[in-house]
Amino acid sequence: MDPIPRVEGRLKMQHLALLAFDKERCKPFFDRLTELFYEHHHSSKQNPEGYEELLYRIHRPYTNDMLDMVDDWMGIGKREWREETTREVKLAMYAIRYPDTLLIDSFTEGARSDIRRLSAYLHFTHHTYAIWDEDTRKGLAKLGIDIPATEVADPFIYGAYVSAIELLKDVAPFTCFLEHDVPRQRLFQAALAAYGRE
Amino acid sequence: MTDTEIVQDYSPNFEAWISDFQEWQTRIGFDPSWLGDYRFDIKFDWDTAGNSIEFGDFEGMPKWQRRMQIPQQNIRDAIISMVSVQGDTEFASVEQQNHLLATAPTEYDKKSALRIMCEEQRHGWQMAYLLCTYFGEHGVREAAKLLERNAQEGTRILGSFNAPIDHWLDFFCFTHFIDRDGKYQLKMLSTSSFQPLAASMGPMLKEESFHLGTGANGLRRIVKQGVIPCALLQKYINKWVSTGLDLFGTDDSSSAQWAYVYGIKGRYDERESDDDADRAHLNEASRELYFQELRDEMRRISKARKDGEPELTIPSDKFNRGIGKYAGKKYTLEGEEFEGSDADWDAYLVDVLPTDEDEDRLMNDYMQQEWIQYREWKGD
Repeated sequence: MDPIPRVEGRLKMQHLALLAFDKERCKPFFDRLTELFYEHHHSSKQNPEGYEELLYRIHRPYTNDMLDMVDDWMGIGKREWREETTREVKLAMYAIRYPDTLLIDSFTEGARSDIRRLSAYLHFTHHTYAIWDEDTRKGLAKLGIDIPATEVADPFIYGAYVSAIELLKDVAPFTCFLEHDVPRQRLFQAALAAYGRE
Repeated sequence: MTDTEIVQDYSPNFEAWISDFQEWQTRIGFDPSWLGDYRFDIKFDWDTAGNSIEFGDFEGMPKWQRRMQIPQQNIRDAIISMVSVQGDTEFASVEQQNHLLATAPTEYDKKSALRIMCEEQRHGWQMAYLLCTYFGEHGVREAAKLLERNAQEGTRILGSFNAPIDHWLDFFCFTHFIDRDGKYQLKMLSTSSFQPLAASMGPMLKEESFHLGTGANGLRRIVKQGVIPCALLQKYINKWVSTGLDLFGTDDSSSAQWAYVYGIKGRYDERESDDDADRAHLNEASRELYFQELRDEMRRISKARKDGEPELTIPSDKFNRGIGKYAGKKYTLEGEEFEGSDADWDAYLVDVLPTDEDEDRLMNDYMQQEWIQYREWKGD
């Protein structure tokens, strides 16, 4: 029996999210993207200086200390994993290639138990993977991209989340990109979080 | 909302130009294998370009989609001139920078610079495509000239694009100050009455933002590392700011005014502004926005400096200007008229602009150390 809770109809969800995408619905979001990004990313709660530090300080070879730094910035407490689990995740950070998420399926239960933590590790080791955030998921839903809520790292749900943000990057007008000092995935993920909270 | 069109079929004129382009790459020493799987696509964002002329004397009429729809020959000539200048800068910057790849401080910087050079070449392709596809024999001749002028020979159209970029500090200054001017130029053309030109700008601006980010973050990483003293960095800032300001052209420019009348080049904030344009001072208005942006950005960069290091600042817009009402006049960094002899002025410039000794110290002392904050290339 699979110990990880799965979401019914996840394939249907991906189709709806990425094929029936309503670009016109995104216009109000794109018009305010820069403002929304600043509202979320530059809030004291998000500690933007700490975020920037991590962009530089997380690099190969990955160490447990680096994962601790990510945990600290995320404010999610120290992971309670066995050493083999930590090693398994660190090895996966070397192997995974954006935008693949299927590798997550091979993880043990412990590693998959927290999508926020795992997505943050992926973000800071690759910059192209987006951090999972409930507000961001709600922001996507407001744009008509319904991604199921989850706390565990389901490769299909997280894959749809990553692909949806990639899609938004592609269709966004240039005005969204004029000036930024963070990876584009963070730009969109943070703006979506502020949008989702409204 | 944008649906970017990628052109699949090229005209024979443009196909012939591509052969010349490949020879140009060989001539300047840019190895095409460095491109990897990067493709020089021709991209148009028609939605963002809009369908109606947005300003000037033709406001409200449909945007021109073909050469023969452009009502006057002098307007066609003005468009060809603008496309040619833009294309000229794109190829020039690759000529100026490609030798730096061999001395990149980190793999991240090498890959970033390479990406910038690929995208600048794509922007040059885009401009050559417009010339070859929309402007007949005249356009084909101008497209050929894009590859004939050369930055190392000093024959590029704009002064900044003939200046040598000898090291990575100049590269970061160039991408921060000069590519930022490029952002302004592209945005001013993004509302153009010539629709293929306006539609070219969206994809180019998306790419340009990475170039600016590379410059700004590069300077921040240098300041943060604290190996190169801020006093020396300030000299390079002084050197590049005046160059960037000059790129906006003359004051009271009649050609900028005509471009506005024709609707081919707007203000930087054309779509956002509620005010009527001051047509006699268009260059000054854009330059002032750029200047303000430089000051804001430098405050951000300077925050990263180590304790005890002086704040980095943007010099007065009167200092060291080559174009406009302050051109050739003696003003201090603070914008005060310089009082003193010519010899005093020369001594002052030694204090505030990089000298040969500064260059030597920079490259043979500071740059032999870990002079820039390490950043990993993430490889995705």
